[in-house]
Amino acid sequence: MSNTATPSTEHESHDDHAHPTETQYWLVFLLLAVITAFEVLWSYLGFSGPALVVPLIVMMLVKFVIVAGVFMHLWFDMKMLNGKIFTMAFAAGIVVALAVYTTVVATFEFNV
Amino acid sequence: MSDAAVVAEQATDHVEDEHAGHATSLNLSNMKLAMWLFLGSECLLFGALISTYLLSKARFLTEILAGNPVVVDSISNPTLVEEMRAAGSVEPLFDIPFTSLSSFILLMSSLAMVLAHKAISEADYKNLRIWLGTTALLGSFFIAGQIAEFTAFKEEGLSFTGSLLGSAFFTLTGFHGIHVSGGIVMLMTLLVLSFKGKLNQDRAETVELVGLYWHFVDVVWVLIFTIVYLIP
Repeated sequence: MSNTATPSTEHESHDDHAHPTETQYWLVFLLLAVITAFEVLWSYLGFSGPALVVPLIVMMLVKFVIVAGVFMHLWFDMKMLNGKIFTMAFAAGIVVALAVYTTVVATFEFNV
Repeated sequence: MSDAAVVAEQATDHVEDEHAGHATSLNLSNMKLAMWLFLGSECLLFGALISTYLLSKARFLTEILAGNPVVVDSISNPTLVEEMRAAGSVEPLFDIPFTSLSSFILLMSSLAMVLAHKAISEADYKNLRIWLGTTALLGSFFIAGQIAEFTAFKEEGLSFTGSLLGSAFFTLTGFHGIHVSGGIVMLMTLLVLSFKGKLNQDRAETVELVGLYWHFVDVVWVLIFTIVYLIP
């Protein structure tokens, strides 16, 4: 018997955690659309500085988490055996990207 | 168990494993793990491009506000330069309502993609084709919008080689556009395979992998839309 997972095990582990229904996917999309509309509205309200940037960044991150979690199934894969590895692989890329950004900004900031 | 039975069982496992994308000893699909690692590495690419854009924009604005003739002359539309100086940002350059519509289209394509994956998981091949086609079509609309935007920028005098801002902006959004175009090619390939009857429920993971790529492209646009277009 093979010691690797067969499709049946794979499918079983997928079925252990129910994915959203079609209606739920539509609701998530509507939520994303509303957040996008609110982002655009916020940018037109005349705020400046942190009052403008912080809410926009928060809304952007919320959208990011929703797309990654629901559409990319990370929330559901997390419930699979070893499924957190997918999230970790993706998160590792984001963390290194942020480190690159911080390093680049710091290099330009302090290398006058 | 006889040797013949063991060999037959191993052969069956091998065929099944091929359909499962060669599952690892972690009980996870190798292909899916590889895709997530690829997407993680893509974060580095776009992280670097976004960083470069932000730094270039800051440098460009400083020079514009200081009235550096070389930078000012790099924009052929003097009215636009005055608007940027008055606003203290590059915001006058962008057509936010138009880009918002593009963002909405890309978000909608993500919904269509996830519905395509759901359809193949349920062996609903008719809806699979509808949603794959819809995703590709919406992606094409997004690319058409990007071409229109690039053309408008070119007319305003912002070119790829004319200024630091232009180079950084076109590199960032251009790379994203190339990713979207690559995704459209993948979607069209899946659509053709489906019409040929070569994309069945056993291959649901293939659609899922293309879906992961497509959603990633969408999620990168979520970042670009806010960081590049909405934050002055």
